[in-house]
Amino acid sequence: MWERTLQDLIRGLRANKKDENKFIAQAIAEIRQEIRSKDMELKAGAVLKLTYLDMLGYDMGWASFHVVEVMSSPRIHLKSVGYLAAAESFTPETDVLMLTTNQLKKDLSSKPEDVAVTLNGLSHIITPDLARDLAHDLIAMLNHSRPHIRKRAVIAVYKVFVKYPEIVPYGITRLRERLEDTDPGVVAATVNVLCELVQKNPKDYLALAPQLFHLMTTSSNNWMLIKIIKLFGALSPYEPRLVKKLQPPITDLISTTPAISLLYECVHTCITGGMLQGASGNALARMCVTKLAAFLQDPDQNLKYIALLAMTKIVPTHPELVAEYQDMIISSVDDPDISIRMRTLDLLSAMVSRTNLQTIVQQLLSHLVRPDASASGLPSATQSLSQYQYRTPLVSATPKSTNAPSQSPAYRLTLSQRILTLGAADTYDNVVDFEWYLSVLVDLAYVAGVPVGGAIRDQLVDIVARVRAARRFAVQLMVKVLTDESFLANATEDSGCPEVLWAAAWICGEHCGELAEPQKLLPHLLQPGLVALDPEIVAVYLQAATKVFGYWAAEQAGTFELDDLPRIRDAVDVALERAGTFATSPDIEVQERAAEMVNLFTFVRADLAAYRPKADAGFDMSISLGAGFGDGFNEVGFGDAPSQDPGFPKSLYLIRPLFSAYELNAVAAEAQSLVEIPEDLNLDAWIVSPPREFTDHFEPDDVLEPKKKKSKKSKEKEHGPGKGKGKSKNHRQPDGGDVAGTSQPTETAEERAERERRKAERRERLRDDPYYLIDDRPSRSSSVNDVDSIPVVRLDDLPPISQAENTAARLPSLRNRSPAPQTFVIDKTGELPQGSGSRPVSRPVSRLNNKDDASSLRRSASPAVPPPSFPLYEVEDDVPGAATPPPIKVTRAKKKGSSSGKKKRTKTGDSTATSPLVE
Amino acid sequence: MIHAVLIFNTSGVARLTKFYSTLHRSSQTLVHQIFSLVSTRAPGLCNFLDAPELESFLTAQEADGEKLRVVYRNYATLYFVFVVDSAESELGILDLIQVFVESLDRTFENVCELDLVFHFDEVHHILSEVIQGGLVLETNVEEIDHQVQRAAKARKESFASANPLSLGSGVAGGGSRASGLSSLGWLTEKLAGVGTK
Repeated sequence: MWERTLQDLIRGLRANKKDENKFIAQAIAEIRQEIRSKDMELKAGAVLKLTYLDMLGYDMGWASFHVVEVMSSPRIHLKSVGYLAAAESFTPETDVLMLTTNQLKKDLSSKPEDVAVTLNGLSHIITPDLARDLAHDLIAMLNHSRPHIRKRAVIAVYKVFVKYPEIVPYGITRLRERLEDTDPGVVAATVNVLCELVQKNPKDYLALAPQLFHLMTTSSNNWMLIKIIKLFGALSPYEPRLVKKLQPPITDLISTTPAISLLYECVHTCITGGMLQGASGNALARMCVTKLAAFLQDPDQNLKYIALLAMTKIVPTHPELVAEYQDMIISSVDDPDISIRMRTLDLLSAMVSRTNLQTIVQQLLSHLVRPDASASGLPSATQSLSQYQYRTPLVSATPKSTNAPSQSPAYRLTLSQRILTLGAADTYDNVVDFEWYLSVLVDLAYVAGVPVGGAIRDQLVDIVARVRAARRFAVQLMVKVLTDESFLANATEDSGCPEVLWAAAWICGEHCGELAEPQKLLPHLLQPGLVALDPEIVAVYLQAATKVFGYWAAEQAGTFELDDLPRIRDAVDVALERAGTFATSPDIEVQERAAEMVNLFTFVRADLAAYRPKADAGFDMSISLGAGFGDGFNEVGFGDAPSQDPGFPKSLYLIRPLFSAYELNAVAAEAQSLVEIPEDLNLDAWIVSPPREFTDHFEPDDVLEPKKKKSKKSKEKEHGPGKGKGKSKNHRQPDGGDVAGTSQPTETAEERAERERRKAERRERLRDDPYYLIDDRPSRSSSVNDVDSIPVVRLDDLPPISQAENTAARLPSLRNRSPAPQTFVIDKTGELPQGSGSRPVSRPVSRLNNKDDASSLRRSASPAVPPPSFPLYEVEDDVPGAATPPPIKVTRAKKKGSSSGKKKRTKTGDSTATSPLVE
Repeated sequence: MIHAVLIFNTSGVARLTKFYSTLHRSSQTLVHQIFSLVSTRAPGLCNFLDAPELESFLTAQEADGEKLRVVYRNYATLYFVFVVDSAESELGILDLIQVFVESLDRTFENVCELDLVFHFDEVHHILSEVIQGGLVLETNVEEIDHQVQRAAKARKESFASANPLSLGSGVAGGGSRASGLSSLGWLTEKLAGVGTK
């Protein structure tokens, strides 16, 4: 029989490149035969071949036992094959490892060659069990007569320490002796090992400092010096005296050493050890930075790389020193080497400040611009918007272009994320000019070519909510985005940022008051091309379209003339037609919003059609209103006002109040936690009690009773705020409003009666049972279940609601108020903007969703973190009070209240919070 | 600590992979990933591979989130790649790669890729004189070479005593069985590095 050796196998592999898998399958089949052979040579040959195949990715876990067999061979040339195979293939889970303990012990007391092989192999395969069993043998080995074995033993002992820490106190003294070994190799290995140990537990090794210090001052072995300096870097934070002691020799090293690797370690240790503080420290820091800056210009890229690494460490304590070299550093971002770029990015992020943010971001952004567009340098949003049309899609970018690294998607992603983090750091603390930053965000959406849309969206929405002064500009910018066909087209590609459209639509809808020509935006918000977008975005578009129309219609009503009517009709018709196509969307959210929109607009259209300029209008309209909206709507007062003829189609005011009741503001991250839980609200109680088996026997009354009460109480509580919430939602968005309101858990009368009956029965039965405590108080259940008596009614009747609903300032920038407070109604202060902009930014979307819940947040309750001062912009700041601006009250009085006056109030008061469901 | 030592050629074929920590589980992917990044780097760039593509790959491995660094060096048709953590000095590792290559060169005399191809086990033995269990054992080339020779001699003697009929040339590994291999003697002789030295 002809067995292949490893060499044969390798040659075979090289000869069978085309059919490698088949060849290897055959080879493995042979190995399986050979490995069972009784001939140890053959077995070892098979194991070696297997080890080679393992490197190529073929599993050899099945052969572990045979590997152990080969390890146990007395012949060194076979044994080393076994240990090599074990080191390569064994994992801590390999079960045969426990068979090796005795073998290892035996090998450790064998010939020096065997010991060397064993120590090396053991360092790889060691497990906690092996470490425990072999610890003493290995520690004894530290005093072996041969330096080579001592060296290996030092490292093996380290492995034991890692796997079996209990032995450290015993072993460390023996290990320490190795620092004074006669062989420099053993000393170096020991320092090496200590360097690893110190990282995990610095305090335990402080006692080594004198010895190490001695080594540091006497040794000239750079390799070891680096390790010793590293060691001190880990030790000095725990021993202040060490810092003083180290400063002179390290300063000496820094100024004399030609090795930048050593210099880097010295700088690093200086920083972690706090040696750069104080006057002498500053001088030292300056020296470091000067040296590093020289390396920055070195043609050797490795030195440049290390210099950047080291500078990143110095920046936090001495930013001004590094800032001197800002230009040099920024130019490193252009380096063709991506490693250098990444380090530079780190350094730039560390050194960013108010003064240089703009420069840095601009520079980074220019990297994202494609080469063909980079000529113009991308200074502003408008420019990049126009550039964009000529942008080539990502796929066609040639990877081998001169600017190759910046074309790699991962790099672009990193760069884009870096820009976003730089801007958003500390809630935009470094941003001075928000119009500029908003432009940057939009630019980024255009040029990134990587999916960072979500982050951009969040920041856009966040900024618009926080920085009032930037809203107008933001809206202008967003209109540009929304009307840019090419953006929409590109957004649906993989590399696009469709989420930005989400933000754009949302911002334009929410702040439609800032729109110059709302009606022109409408077609864009409802364009058929939207279907390619994510349904979530389409839903926002539809909602925005409704808002924009509502705003525009109300505006038209203010200056209504008969000539306007056809235009309005056209707009409604177009909107209806477009919305109709979305009403059949497979996505439920889009469908629902579109359907609502269709209904609202159908009503408006009917009203417009029925509109007669003169006195007969009122009657017609009341009919159409009744037809369109049913009784509920009539009650509110849109329909039953035949006597009051406003002189314009009343339905023009239909939509806006649905949206403009509240202004969305940033809510403090801790707002929710500051909401006081009403004392009688039990959040742990069931809202709807789970179905309960009324087993007649084993339900003790004293357990059941409180639970029931709780559940009823919670029901009651739920009822109260639930309705309030429902209302508030109705103000904001007509769609999601009544969810909370209508889903009250109810118990039918029969069920209740049945339950009462059972309870009474049980109580009767248990009355004489000494093991049960009977609650003798009269049951309050009946009163609790009386729906009319629970506070909902009271809340509804509270005057502040209706008052507050009519309050709003005329200008969006002055609007700051939500309805007046109720005792624990969720809406009122939920709208309170957070006190400062310096809180951590959380996801804006969820914040917006939370706003309804963030109730009863008093301003005084939120911690008084001073807002970061923006010279130009007012960051979202809380304006307390100002709940009910007087002018509106005046108007209201004039209009003689009552239900019918509402529409006119809206006319004069503008943007009121009229809810059709309140009165 | 050194987490991995990889050698692959300019076509991405692994010639040696040695993992000192649990990076192991995705070794093939790692080699492939590093190769694709390293091979596109022009000469003259720095020897530290710092690519965003690798970030997740290298940081995810470590429980404490410590980032690993990739240091590589290119010799003729071979890339030598060391994956290390922050306890190692980047430039120090660069020197260490040089030490390792010099040791290979001493053993194989003008080491070339073929030496590594056919003496995969021998390369492992040399590496084990430089690094043990992820820690640097020795940085002195003389000392390394001395130990390599000594171990090789021990294996050779052991092999000879076990196979008295052998020509004494099959030392490269336990599996190279000289008996019955006479027809291939020219090859073994030519390629069995230490044995023929």
